[in-house]
Amino acid sequence: MKINKRGTSMKLKVLTLLACLAGSMGSALAAEGELSIGTEGAYPPWSMSDANGNVTGFDADVGALLCTKLGVTCHFVVQAFDGLIPALKAKRFDVIISGMSITADRKKEINFSVGYAELANTFVAAKGSDLAAITDVDTLLKSLDGKKVGVQAGTTHAHFLEKRAPNADLKTYDTLDQMQIDLASGRIDTAFADKSALQDFLDKPDGKNFQMVGVEIKSTFDPTLGEGIGVGIAQDNTELKAKIDKALCELIADGSVGKASQKWFKADISRPCK
Amino acid sequence: MIDLIQLAVPVLLKGLWVTAVLTFISVLIGFNLGLGLALMRLSSNRFLSGFAKYYSNVFRGTPLLVQIFLFYYGLGQLSLIKDNAVLWWLISDGARCAVLALALNTAAYTSEILRGGLMSVPVGLVEAAQACGMSRMLRFRRIEFPLAIRQALPAYGNELILVVKGTSLASTITVLEITGYAKRLMSQTFAIFEIFAIAGVLYLVINLLLIGIIRAIERFLMRHETSSVRYLAAPQPNRSTVGS
Amino acid sequence: MEFGLWQVWEAGWVTAILRGASITILVGLVSMTAGLVIGVVCGLIKWARIFPLSLLVDAYTSLVRGVPELLIIYLLFFSSVEFVTKVVTAFGYAGVAESGYAFVIAVIAIGAISGAYSTEVVRGALGAIPDGHIEAARALGLSGGRIFRRIIAPQMLRIAVPGINNVWQTTIKDTALVSVVGLQELMRISFIGANSTRHPFIFYLIAAVVYLVITLVSQTGFDGIERLLRLRTRK
Repeated sequence: MKINKRGTSMKLKVLTLLACLAGSMGSALAAEGELSIGTEGAYPPWSMSDANGNVTGFDADVGALLCTKLGVTCHFVVQAFDGLIPALKAKRFDVIISGMSITADRKKEINFSVGYAELANTFVAAKGSDLAAITDVDTLLKSLDGKKVGVQAGTTHAHFLEKRAPNADLKTYDTLDQMQIDLASGRIDTAFADKSALQDFLDKPDGKNFQMVGVEIKSTFDPTLGEGIGVGIAQDNTELKAKIDKALCELIADGSVGKASQKWFKADISRPCK
Repeated sequence: MIDLIQLAVPVLLKGLWVTAVLTFISVLIGFNLGLGLALMRLSSNRFLSGFAKYYSNVFRGTPLLVQIFLFYYGLGQLSLIKDNAVLWWLISDGARCAVLALALNTAAYTSEILRGGLMSVPVGLVEAAQACGMSRMLRFRRIEFPLAIRQALPAYGNELILVVKGTSLASTITVLEITGYAKRLMSQTFAIFEIFAIAGVLYLVINLLLIGIIRAIERFLMRHETSSVRYLAAPQPNRSTVGS
Repeated sequence: MEFGLWQVWEAGWVTAILRGASITILVGLVSMTAGLVIGVVCGLIKWARIFPLSLLVDAYTSLVRGVPELLIIYLLFFSSVEFVTKVVTAFGYAGVAESGYAFVIAVIAIGAISGAYSTEVVRGALGAIPDGHIEAARALGLSGGRIFRRIIAPQMLRIAVPGINNVWQTTIKDTALVSVVGLQELMRISFIGANSTRHPFIFYLIAAVVYLVITLVSQTGFDGIERLLRLRTRK
């Protein structure tokens, strides 16, 4: 079975090569029976990668489920979050699976599959700080004025704060790790991200003096936060979108996505498919 | 496109101001440090000249990005720094930290440039000044320094441009200067080429302005020579060699 | 809290750092070579003032030297020049495209930067060759190609060595910037190590030391070359 697969893929490679030489690129990668997936690889527990480029996490599981369903092999490409959309547009990979929220702005650039998960966002702050005690959204957003707030570059979190907390001193980071180092060292007062990622920080030694603010900001609160997490697909690739939508809906319906979610988040954050 | 320019230009101009401030402070500190290092290097005290030499080699032999990360993330981790109010004030803020790294970095290059300038001062002139009974300080102020700076100016102009370009690395430690804002705009609009092109033009404008200023100073200093054809765009690239 | 060199060694980071350093050197060498080719071609154009082309070269060198390297790298990487993907994929398959992509972008960016500085070095070196030598060669009836090979190139090379040394030092340091786009060279590995172990000080310090070793060793090499060339001329 395996040998057979390799044989075909070899032939396909030759064909692909010929296709390339003929100048018709199309989606060469997808033609190989391989789905290349762009992911951040630095956003636990969604997407983590080690020094060898192996990707694990919830998104890696979703990707693997999807590939099995589509009968292709998965191939992960690790890429900084704010470079994912430009890279997808340049056809560096076929899809983005990286905890990416479906937003109106992003839809201008790329297509999304149906949503497969739902985010709940919040802030972390030092235990016992004034911020940590706040219990409603409006007070919270107002009290960010003049505060140093950490957020990851290019995320819905960043866009949300740019819009709703314009007087906050926003510090943007390429990776969550850098943000957490600065949070732990006291360079920033608070950080905004999704709960699962923040929980991951609180579980580390660095996070022992921090707590989540008791305010959950769901994506329904503000459209900049998007309509759930989806798979990003190039706009001209409608065929792939149809396939992925169908596969995802099946995977959500049969509980596979929910099971993966339980494994990584200890909660089901999968989003029912409409 | 017009919309994009209307959106991007005001934001990037905010960044331009930060870039200018970062450059100005770094150069101010860096020049004085560099002058001090150049004098140390030329002193007969072996400890002083040795220190200046190692300083210069270390800072010129490692990438500015590594220096910036080492200062910002590396030093920020040490409790020694965190417990000291002054040091923590310096390191805790991205902009201050960037200025620190840029100033120490440019000081190394400046010291090499000024050393070259000081060495080019003819011994006869210094001896003549000595014979006239000028004190050491006066000699330096009136004879050696003016001649050295005239010699060093074209190379120093190049170094200034490198400092301007170096400030872009501050964006990697959360400072919002031109490049930092450009990256933020990019993730909002995805108009990658246009945004970075506008940002690039802003840098070019700063650098052309700097070249203009340096040339004007040069002309002023060289006013005794009728046809000076000494160009800023000196053939050798600005970052001079390690250990030379 | 105690995290020292021993832990770095134990966790296998040393091999990762060495691998990163070798990629740094590789990117440096390939970019430098590409830059020298660009430098010789553009330097000749600038020196000989070949009219429309010299304007292009002027635009290229002042653009690259006036705009931060980081911005150039971001521009090239994020706008992800589609042809790079095409070129790389055409040579093989997805695997190559994936691992080769960041490398190709890095070499294009660093090579273009290095090339701009090399152009100035070559132009300067050509300008330093006495006109009389070329006139004498012409008077002897040597062909243009031979004049270049026998008169111009050897002299240019000798005069350009210190300048090329400068460009090389700048190039190897500039490779650190491509870490921001994910190529796993020395700086990137240090970055990953610093973030995942939460010990940035030791990792960036090691990176600094490795860069210093690379630049000092190549400095010694260039000093040797210069001495060699100086001896030859004396004979």
